[in-house]
Amino acid sequence: MLARAVPLALLVAAGAYLVLSLQLPFGAAARPGAGFYPVMVAVFAVVVALGATTSAFRSAPGAAVAAFELDAAARRRVVISVVALVAFCLALPWVGYPAAAFAFVTIVLRYLGARWTTALVAGVLSSAGSYGLFAVLLDVPLPRGPW
Amino acid sequence: MGPLEGLVYGFSIALLPTNLFACFVGVVVGTVVGVLPGIGPVGAMALLLPSTFAMHPATALIMLAGIYYGAMYGGSTTSILVNVPGEAGSVVTLLDGYQMTRKGRAGAALTISAVGSFVAGTVGVVGIMLAAGWLADVAIRFGPPEYFAITLGGILLLSRLSGGSILNAFVMVALGLALGTVGMDSISALRRFTFGSVQLAQGIELVPVIMGVYGVAEVLLLAEEGIAKTQIASVKLRELLPTPQEWRRSTMPIARGSVVGFLTGLVPGPAAVLSTFISYTLEKKMSKTPEKFGTGMIEGVAGPEAANNGATAGAMVPLLSLGIPFSPATAILLGALVVHGLEPGPLMISQRPEVFWGFVASMYIGNLMLLILNLPLVGVFVTVLRLPQHILATLVLLLCLVGAFSLSNSFLDLWVLVIFGVLGYALRKLRVDPSPMVVALVLGPMMEKTLRQALFLTRGSVVDLVARPLSATILLLAAAALLGPPLVRLLRRGRVAQPLPQ
Repeated sequence: MLARAVPLALLVAAGAYLVLSLQLPFGAAARPGAGFYPVMVAVFAVVVALGATTSAFRSAPGAAVAAFELDAAARRRVVISVVALVAFCLALPWVGYPAAAFAFVTIVLRYLGARWTTALVAGVLSSAGSYGLFAVLLDVPLPRGPW
Repeated sequence: MGPLEGLVYGFSIALLPTNLFACFVGVVVGTVVGVLPGIGPVGAMALLLPSTFAMHPATALIMLAGIYYGAMYGGSTTSILVNVPGEAGSVVTLLDGYQMTRKGRAGAALTISAVGSFVAGTVGVVGIMLAAGWLADVAIRFGPPEYFAITLGGILLLSRLSGGSILNAFVMVALGLALGTVGMDSISALRRFTFGSVQLAQGIELVPVIMGVYGVAEVLLLAEEGIAKTQIASVKLRELLPTPQEWRRSTMPIARGSVVGFLTGLVPGPAAVLSTFISYTLEKKMSKTPEKFGTGMIEGVAGPEAANNGATAGAMVPLLSLGIPFSPATAILLGALVVHGLEPGPLMISQRPEVFWGFVASMYIGNLMLLILNLPLVGVFVTVLRLPQHILATLVLLLCLVGAFSLSNSFLDLWVLVIFGVLGYALRKLRVDPSPMVVALVLGPMMEKTLRQALFLTRGSVVDLVARPLSATILLLAAAALLGPPLVRLLRRGRVAQPLPQ
């Protein structure tokens, strides 16, 4: 699945990139405009992505699958980690860094197999520790949230 | 300033307490990430880059480079003791290194690999001193056409060498080049592919991309395993000393590995990894008992471990004298210099000697620190491996998130981090090396600028652009490297297909 989906997605992206770069001023060879180089990159991208997609669809579907064979638990751990990353980015502007970091560490640790107590303690310590280091010591304006 | 004068001046910079401390922090962090499987030097350098913004550029360079070469020392420890490579440059080391551990010679393997790394690191610094100065003198005469040829040739060569299919490498290059065009056009100030976003007008930042591809992606791979316990062989201090015979057998492999490593480092490509494979193959060919490789031959540890350190030194040469990074790690070093308004290139050595010579001198000091850290203190670093992996993985993720945000306090960087983390994970699963993408992202804007300047100069003539002696040589070399192997294969196939004469 992934072995075909990734090149196909990149091919679509390359096509879209070509369309967009054709709308930029191309200029001429002696006075190349802002679109000159992007068009060349886009043509190259379409050609190689087309090649990769063709070769992915030609090769036996079973060949590249072996690497992705994960048991359900392992797959869940990866999916949860990704979901947690996305949730962190979405929540950060609204709930602030300390709360988002605490929830992130606790939930990911719990799903990776830690006990609730370990996960909670690590959540509190890492959230407070990183906030202290980055926001207080290094002056990074981390969002504090509504509280 | 001659090399000797420069070095003396460099030591006066590198021995300043701040720089000594930065060097120490760098090599310690480097050793730790080297020892830890899954977390590599590139991710760690990206994570620590924001912390260097307040430092003097020389101090920043000293610390970040310390992580890079420190990891080459640490990586071997895990290869030898656990049979898992600490980082990619130590994959070859485990073939014979772990077998030595099984035979009770772990201590000797660790010592030889640390000494080999030290020798190669030191030889490499001498190489940088001589080569970077010479190359910078030559490069002063380079114009846009030459720089265009170097970047284009470098990207082509890198795609050839990055392993795996060249088509996949090209797809990665195309993606990197395309990403490099996002944002304000440097010549006409037109906004390209920004979809009205003010933040995107600044372009896609390299560091969150690297943190994603080398940090988040690696942690996602760790997350697959959940809680895993590592079996570690223990080593007593007494056992660290190799026998006189082991010393003797290692001398030449270390010498050869140092040279092979440095030369590989000069060429665009994944030098640290590639050099270890070249050195291992070389030692096997030179050996009277090649069949014994893989059963615990000290030569198989000594050569590659020297080579990967030589390669990290060699990779500094194009960065320092041309301002062109050919690997993700040197791209971060470039980023650190650019943040401080420095333009690495042929003029940097003469205009900012404190940065160049301070950095070179710090590598001598750093290698000495690493020798001490990795021999008597090897036990301390091994305890890092007893840290529960899942806690470490979660903390690294959190550090990536807060680190990416702190770069420029932008939510966009966070999304770039997550998107490239997931992409990096998918690429690992597809066994596609993402480094051509990262290098193309850095070199792309350079390539566009030099191409457009060069076309202005030649009034649009492509022939004039490539027919200059140096550009032509570089492009021909790259083309030969690119087309050579498939051509040879094709010719061979043709010959085999011919019917044998009766």
